[in-house]
Amino acid sequence: MSHEDSVPVLRAEGLTKRYGRRVALNGVDLTIPAGRVVGLVGPNGAGKSTLLNLACGLLEPTSGSLRVLGSRPAESAAHLARVGFVAQDTPVYPSFSVADHLRLGARLNPSWDQELAERRIAQVGLNPGQKAGRLSGGQRAQLAMTIAAAKRPELLIFDEPAAALDPLARRGFLENLVEFVAELGASAVLSSHLLSDIERVCDHLIVLCAAQVQVAGKVQDLLAAHHRLVAPRGELDRLPAGVEVVRMENNGQYSRALVRTDVPPPSIPYRVEPVTLEELVLGYMSRAFAAGEGTR
Amino acid sequence: MIWLNWRQFRLQALAAAVGLALIAVYLLYLGTEIRDAHDAYQSRCADPGDCAQAKSQFQSAYQNTLLFLAGGLGLIPVVIGAFWGAPLIARELEISTHRLVWNQSVTRRRWLICRMAFVGLAAMILTGLASLLLTWAAAPYDAVAADRFGAVEFGARNVAPIGYAFLAFILGTLVGLLVRRTLPAMAITGVVFLVLQFSVPNLVRPYLMPSEKTTLPMTTQIINEARSLGSITGAPVIGGLQVPGAPDAWISETSPLRTADGRTLGDSKFNECLDTPPKTGTGGTFGDTAACLSKLNLHVDIKYQPGSRYWQFQLIETGLYLAVSGLLILIALQRIRRA
Repeated sequence: MSHEDSVPVLRAEGLTKRYGRRVALNGVDLTIPAGRVVGLVGPNGAGKSTLLNLACGLLEPTSGSLRVLGSRPAESAAHLARVGFVAQDTPVYPSFSVADHLRLGARLNPSWDQELAERRIAQVGLNPGQKAGRLSGGQRAQLAMTIAAAKRPELLIFDEPAAALDPLARRGFLENLVEFVAELGASAVLSSHLLSDIERVCDHLIVLCAAQVQVAGKVQDLLAAHHRLVAPRGELDRLPAGVEVVRMENNGQYSRALVRTDVPPPSIPYRVEPVTLEELVLGYMSRAFAAGEGTR
Repeated sequence: MIWLNWRQFRLQALAAAVGLALIAVYLLYLGTEIRDAHDAYQSRCADPGDCAQAKSQFQSAYQNTLLFLAGGLGLIPVVIGAFWGAPLIARELEISTHRLVWNQSVTRRRWLICRMAFVGLAAMILTGLASLLLTWAAAPYDAVAADRFGAVEFGARNVAPIGYAFLAFILGTLVGLLVRRTLPAMAITGVVFLVLQFSVPNLVRPYLMPSEKTTLPMTTQIINEARSLGSITGAPVIGGLQVPGAPDAWISETSPLRTADGRTLGDSKFNECLDTPPKTGTGGTFGDTAACLSKLNLHVDIKYQPGSRYWQFQLIETGLYLAVSGLLILIALQRIRRA
């Protein structure tokens, strides 16, 4: 894809953010290539919101550097026009009507696409005359998403976009969101504390846990590089070079290990099983938690 | 941005317009009434014996009303600071809409500059018009009372209120940005601005220009023209003097009564004159006491500003408020980048 050579949508080097003594992000190095739908997953308090708020310039890093589409976040009006952001809990002006919000978007964004905005508002069944303060959580999310998208950004950032929706509505909403992003031809980053929210819609995954990126990459590459090894207890203590144990579980006479390997599986002399994305994410999260408890 | 400004500000603008209309109706009515009363007082002055009494009647008829109005309109900047300034950013932060509006294609600084310019201008227009109306209504009274430098009157006439309103609004905006919560920001803004408004007339205004100095000999006539003599602690002080030949001069400092060698008059001598003056049958406000004191060959040293400096003082004070506002704007523009 031509996207692969272009400027990454996000590049972080040693990115650190502290709130007083609490460290929200600790030396994060991360590159997100253009043209992807990226899922940012991690438990509550992992630093997801902090990372996304840094990416749109609402927060300033304590140290380290962060470039979004090649510039400092929110550097200029032109740069703001290239990034759309839907904040957590999708804030809107309670006293403004839906139409007022579209007008706000039209007045404040030179690249505003009124036709797109109106079409989307009609599609999701919002009444333009309705006051935004009276909208349901889901309707508010749709409104906030429409405002962010109708300025036709190159990168759309969604912080927990489905949080206000009930479980039944979540999947439909997210699939619709991703179709919409594809229609815009934009890159997208969306965060969730639920892997199930994003594993169906994202082609790139970042696991953020304990203030650090545990693993990041294209979903299919991640699945190809991770395996479960099953062997008699003790056998897995010595593994060939290039095989990294993410998580080891001893179960009776057997050990099961989640490993990351560049070596093609057949060359490993154990039973090799594929892993699901959920196992992979849980493996990295448990490792991060175990490491966190070890240092305490 | 103009549309957004108007959309977010229209209710406050409407409330301000209604308030101003009510003030205008009352002040137009009062202004005509004062003019009629002034004409009546002037016509009574054809008879010189009646003139002084007519003048004091005219003055006392409107003194309290105008003082009350000046104090009331002086609260407009406080209300502007608390209700227009403090919520400007704090409210956005409180309901998180800053995350929406600061992610449109307008930089945060530009957003803030536009919002401050729009509401700040409205604040200056509102107080400017209210001040203009009061200045007009009170003009005949002010000409007679010659007290344009009065702590309350000075701040409620001509251009000074415009500077107050702008500073109050900018102060509120900055406090809101720093405190990030609307109600505490409103309270802090109100208190800080009120303290400022009570301090400036006493601590800053007298020193805006170097004052003139003079010495007044304490003759019976001058003592009888004073408003007060003595204090609750029995100190030898005199208050409410006028500079001879310049009744509209502003006396900013009056020394205690001093003897010919420059020392302060002893309390016992002063109280003797105050309590048991020798009977001489002298008339006037302080009667025998004035005669008794005048025999002691006393004087006071005063510092004053000539009345001709009135407009210089109005402009300097307004400029000072605008300059401080400018400084606060710079701080706000710096801070909002890291909000």
